[in-house]
Amino acid sequence: MSQTPPANSAFEIASVLVVVQASLSFVAGLSALPFGIVEPGFRLLGVLTLLIAAAMFWLARGLRRGRRWAWGWLVTLEGLSLAITTLLSLLPIGTMRGPVPLLVNLVIPLSVLVLLAAGAADRPTQPGPADPA
Amino acid sequence: MYDIAADHAIALSTAIVLLLFLLVSVRLLGFLAARRAAWAVRFAEAYDAASPITRVAAALMLVSGAIHLALVPGHDGITGILFIIDGVGFVGLGIAAFITNWWRRPAMLWLTATIAAYVVWVIAGWETPDQVGIACKLIELVALGLVMRLNHPTRRTWPRRIWRATAFPLITIVMTFGIWVGGLAHPDALHAHAGAVLQPVNAVATPEQRAAAARLLADTKASLTRYGDPAVAIAAGYKPGPVSAADPLLHFQNPANAHAILDPNRPQALVYARTPSGLRLVGAMYQMPKVGQRGPDPGGPLTQWHQHEGICFSPFGFEFSFETPFWTCSVGSTSVTTAPMLHVWIVDNGKNGPFAAELDKAVQRELTRRS
Repeated sequence: MSQTPPANSAFEIASVLVVVQASLSFVAGLSALPFGIVEPGFRLLGVLTLLIAAAMFWLARGLRRGRRWAWGWLVTLEGLSLAITTLLSLLPIGTMRGPVPLLVNLVIPLSVLVLLAAGAADRPTQPGPADPA
Repeated sequence: MYDIAADHAIALSTAIVLLLFLLVSVRLLGFLAARRAAWAVRFAEAYDAASPITRVAAALMLVSGAIHLALVPGHDGITGILFIIDGVGFVGLGIAAFITNWWRRPAMLWLTATIAAYVVWVIAGWETPDQVGIACKLIELVALGLVMRLNHPTRRTWPRRIWRATAFPLITIVMTFGIWVGGLAHPDALHAHAGAVLQPVNAVATPEQRAAAARLLADTKASLTRYGDPAVAIAAGYKPGPVSAADPLLHFQNPANAHAILDPNRPQALVYARTPSGLRLVGAMYQMPKVGQRGPDPGGPLTQWHQHEGICFSPFGFEFSFETPFWTCSVGSTSVTTAPMLHVWIVDNGKNGPFAAELDKAVQRELTRRS
């Protein structure tokens, strides 16, 4: 049986947060599909969200196993998510109202980024088979 | 759709104060341990020996415990008693994480039971899901995920591996759908329909409010007579909004009227029904300039403003769906809350009346069938 190297704590905590994000995205993707009956765009957006959720589950698994590509993709995804949230919160459309959107859209992505940065110093150096870098 | 219940607001400040208290306590513990206070040295050693995952999980359980205890005064009966038990349990487990080895399984059971109980309470209608409750479940969910990571399995069979990989996402997904179903099945009195939240007003209209409502309807009807032809509306500065296959109504908005407040001569939008014989003017829509403002309601409960929230808006094709209780939308769409609005229907709107948030479905069908 193959042994995986022990992941560092920062990556372990980050991977749990990423699984939470992926699960919430999965529900968002599923919930968009019924709207696809009358709103054709949501068929595509729903499927796209489900695919991204599946990718995030995979990235969380990769991060726990110390894969470099998972770290790189997660930094990009979380950074992008944080940038979009910041831009949307500047618009007068009431995107961030209350503790739940604040936690989900700001605190969790920010925490993941901080944990990824903290864990990077003693990152296990197993590139993994699918490492494009 | 998910606001902060008035009696839950205290829990938010409690959680923030506790987090600050924990940070200060850890510093103080280090300071006292350096001065060789025996009890502080013991605690500091236990804290240092704990893994970062244990520390974070314990902190999250302490926060959840504090939230539950802070909510006790606002909850009577069995819910209040369960909050005390739950709060004390979380505080106990949060402390036990540093001084015992047996806390993991009880913590997993406690967290799972608390999350499951919340979903049952919400679906049964015994608790209205609000942002404090949902945020608390999110905290517990993360704590549960961390505690599950701490449990290292002794046997690595495939069924166990699959269970370990899927249990936590499944709990998250089931919990989210559970809260959603409960929220939709038991909306509070201010929900006109999913996504529209009414502004609170007095229960019964006074004679003055009835007269004011009648005046607003008459003034709006008189003002709108000139816009029967959509071309006239366009010439006056109204711009047709996006057409949706799911909505037989079309809003023409006039940005020049954005700052007018309930002015029958300058409504923010005109509402046309898309009938087989073309567009037919059915009403006006007044809207406040900003999100969160309270609309003036001269007719009291007869002219109740509403705002749309809990909806995911996609600019690609101008389409809508509902957001989840965790305020997440599908990729390419974003959560939107509109500024408060008041519709005035100049056609007979059936039992819903001339100021309802929506045009009656039967009236819509009648309009779109008529040629």
